Amino acid sequence: MSTTLPAVAFYLLAFAALYGAISMMSTRNVVHATVWLLEVMLATAGLYLVLDAEFLALVQVLVYAGAVAVLTLFTVMLTLRRREDAVRPFPTAWGSLAIAALFTGAMLLAIRGFCPVGVEMPAIVPGIEAFGRELFTTWMVPFEVASLVLLVALVGAVWWTGGDDR
Amino acid sequence: MSMDWVVLIPLLPALAFTVLAPLSRAARARLVPVAVAAVLGSLGLSIAAFLAVWPGGHDAVWQGSFTIAHIGDRAIPLGLALEPMSAIMLLVVTVVGACVQVYSLGYMHREDRIGWYYAVLSLFTAAMLALVLSDNFLGLFMAWEVMGLCSYLLIGFWHEQEAPRLASIKAFLTTKVGDLGFMLALAVVYAEVGAFDFATVLHHDWAAGTATLVALLMLFGAMGKSAQFPLHVWLPDAMAGPTPASALIHAATMVAAGVFLVVRAFPIFEVSGIALTITLWVGLLTALLAGLLATVQHDIKKVLAYSTISQLGFMFIALGAGGSTAALYHLVTHAYFKSLLFLGAGVIIHAAHTQDMREMGGLAKKLPVTSLAFASGSLALAGIVPFSGFWSKDEILTVLLHEHQYAAFAIALLAAFITAFYVARLWFRVFTAPTQQKELHEGHRSMLAPMVALAVITAVIGFFGPTLGDFLGHEIPWPALGTAAISTVAALGGIALGWYVYGRRTSVVNTQAIKQRFPHAYGVLANKYYFDLTYGYFVVGGYTALTRALATFDARVVDGVVNGAAAAWRSLSAAGWTFDGRVVDGAVNGAASAVKAAGDKVRTLQTGSVRGYQTLVAGAVVLLVIWILVKGA
Amino acid sequence: MTVGLPHVLTLAALLFGIGLYGALSRKNAVHVMMSLELMANAVNLNLVGFSRFVTPEAMTGQFFAVFSMIVSAAEIGLGLALVIAIYRRKRSVELDAVQELKG
Repeated sequence: MSTTLPAVAFYLLAFAALYGAISMMSTRNVVHATVWLLEVMLATAGLYLVLDAEFLALVQVLVYAGAVAVLTLFTVMLTLRRREDAVRPFPTAWGSLAIAALFTGAMLLAIRGFCPVGVEMPAIVPGIEAFGRELFTTWMVPFEVASLVLLVALVGAVWWTGGDDR
Repeated sequence: MSMDWVVLIPLLPALAFTVLAPLSRAARARLVPVAVAAVLGSLGLSIAAFLAVWPGGHDAVWQGSFTIAHIGDRAIPLGLALEPMSAIMLLVVTVVGACVQVYSLGYMHREDRIGWYYAVLSLFTAAMLALVLSDNFLGLFMAWEVMGLCSYLLIGFWHEQEAPRLASIKAFLTTKVGDLGFMLALAVVYAEVGAFDFATVLHHDWAAGTATLVALLMLFGAMGKSAQFPLHVWLPDAMAGPTPASALIHAATMVAAGVFLVVRAFPIFEVSGIALTITLWVGLLTALLAGLLATVQHDIKKVLAYSTISQLGFMFIALGAGGSTAALYHLVTHAYFKSLLFLGAGVIIHAAHTQDMREMGGLAKKLPVTSLAFASGSLALAGIVPFSGFWSKDEILTVLLHEHQYAAFAIALLAAFITAFYVARLWFRVFTAPTQQKELHEGHRSMLAPMVALAVITAVIGFFGPTLGDFLGHEIPWPALGTAAISTVAALGGIALGWYVYGRRTSVVNTQAIKQRFPHAYGVLANKYYFDLTYGYFVVGGYTALTRALATFDARVVDGVVNGAAAAWRSLSAAGWTFDGRVVDGAVNGAASAVKAAGDKVRTLQTGSVRGYQTLVAGAVVLLVIWILVKGA
Repeated sequence: MTVGLPHVLTLAALLFGIGLYGALSRKNAVHVMMSLELMANAVNLNLVGFSRFVTPEAMTGQFFAVFSMIVSAAEIGLGLALVIAIYRRKRSVELDAVQELKG
């Protein structure tokens, strides 16, 4: 496989992600914003594929595109009383924009300053099989702890939103 | 064969704790058998360990360690070692622990929080087992601290009530004062030797001065844990906890930890003669004074508590005279017979529904098994042949004679006499005096079985003294006839006096008469030598006195000056009034409104607005990133 | 045409910046949560990029990304539950409605 094809894919997906993110910020409709977020997530999943992280790409689709987007949509629907409420006018927040721009600028400077430019993409990549083996040997304990974290979060979420009016 | 199973001895009860502790109250109560099974397992393994060490000698038969930390390039290992002394202590702790746990099944069965009680009891046993197995001072100290915590939890078990709560705090703080000494000792040891394990520390070439410092600091720690004068005040109060817990903590194990520490560190004490002498006199003072206190207590548990303090004093006497083996021997026998006495007291308290001996009497007929078992323990405590206490107490007296400590010998003998006296007082009051209650029930089988076991051990263990000595690699000779005769006479004399005062058919409850005849002596004893009062006086009273003196000074001198100044000021102020109204008021009001305005401004920072806060945080992060960039470039 | 580490990092930085702007400027709590997810996504992209270019064999960055995903999944679950809880009390999901900490 030539190096050009992944590069083309990368730039396309990067554009899609950035476009989606900017659209998400500029739309006034919360539901639309959720859909744009979904688009960004899917583009990121594609980027993971380009970067040879197959497992992460799958998880990204399952967790973010699947679960998180649906969860967000549900929340939006549950907290909207009228259809019109979905549309929120907002002024441009210049202060926030300045902070975010400063931060991004600093980051880009840092990347230019510290990142080695000439590093080519290394050829050897262990596959998803090696990933699985590593995950359930070296990273076993953190993985189990993480599952516990999720469980606790689940219980907490249920408790917070539980039926009676606390 | 690998002996790594020794680790399981402390680990089993510790596991029982980790199983029980996180559960709900009801689930814990159902899993109480787990704790009992764990301690019984430890008992079995301890017997196996004892057999593995047999026939004893000096060396450790098993040792295992792991490194918990690196400080610089020094590793800090924590290890366990099985050698004769720890093997014997393992047996003591697990036998008493198992007896107490089985007994508690009956004693505590109506308690809601029985599961928690068993959890803490297990942790406590685990800590004591780890303490005796530890091959270094650091591990010993850790187990020691865990025991401090457990005793706090057990004493304050009925924390709904005021007295146990205060008693638990008092016990914790008092022993903590001692622990401070131990901790400082550890610091000195590490600075001097650079290691904690017994082999290195004890074979270190100690300078006399450093050895004295370390020994005295450790002695201080041991005094706190083993309730020696003047740090004994916590133990009698600690009787507010459940009685079987008292048997475990305040008779057999925790208070034994202090003596055990001194036995462990004994080579350091031997280098420093002064430390030994101080140990001897602390022990003598404690044995005598606590014995006297025991003679005036009416609460049966308090009698036993003071008797424990007094017997621990005997152990310190032995240590001070250079007989660490004798001390260990007495520690072993005392653990058995004192826990027996506490368990017996538990049955009595259950039966009579009171702890006041004046309301008991005639229990021998109603509680036959208990009274027999109690008799075994009492005779051992009094030091009557052939019960265990006789042999070990005699061993201590022999050591004193051998070291030509005649004054100490006399005092110890007096203490032994007093011991016999208060034992007789307790016995005759509780078991033979006229019956005062009708409804009396013997304890449940699960309570009697452990007592019988302990009673048998108490009755026969004395015959194994020389064997025990061989096992430890030291000599425990049969008592010489002369010493034996003297101590027996003292003990019998004490019992006879006790009988004369309390046991005769004609004698009624005659405390009042004694009180009238010896008002001062009785007052001193009844107030526990004013120790609690003294601590109260110096801390609280001293402060009050100081404030009173200051108040006097205040009234005489300061007030005079102030009044004079006031008169002068009054004339001046009349003139100043006008000035005041115009200038000063203006300035004051101006300052106030300035402050108010500033406050209003500052107040707006705390907007409660989530977005405001996150903007602040993000801004700060941006500044931080930029700063890092600038610094890095 | 090639792809290097700086390209991935630049993309991630831009996405993060956009997410940061959204998190700071939005008044709707749901919107803020979504922006936070965008930021987390950018971080994960960073991790994967480093993993691919610096430690391709150990895949350390990928494992970190997995855990990061787990944590942000837990976070969004709790966050949205919180939004609903706030909505029940205040009948609003506007962040400005929550000012209990006001001094």
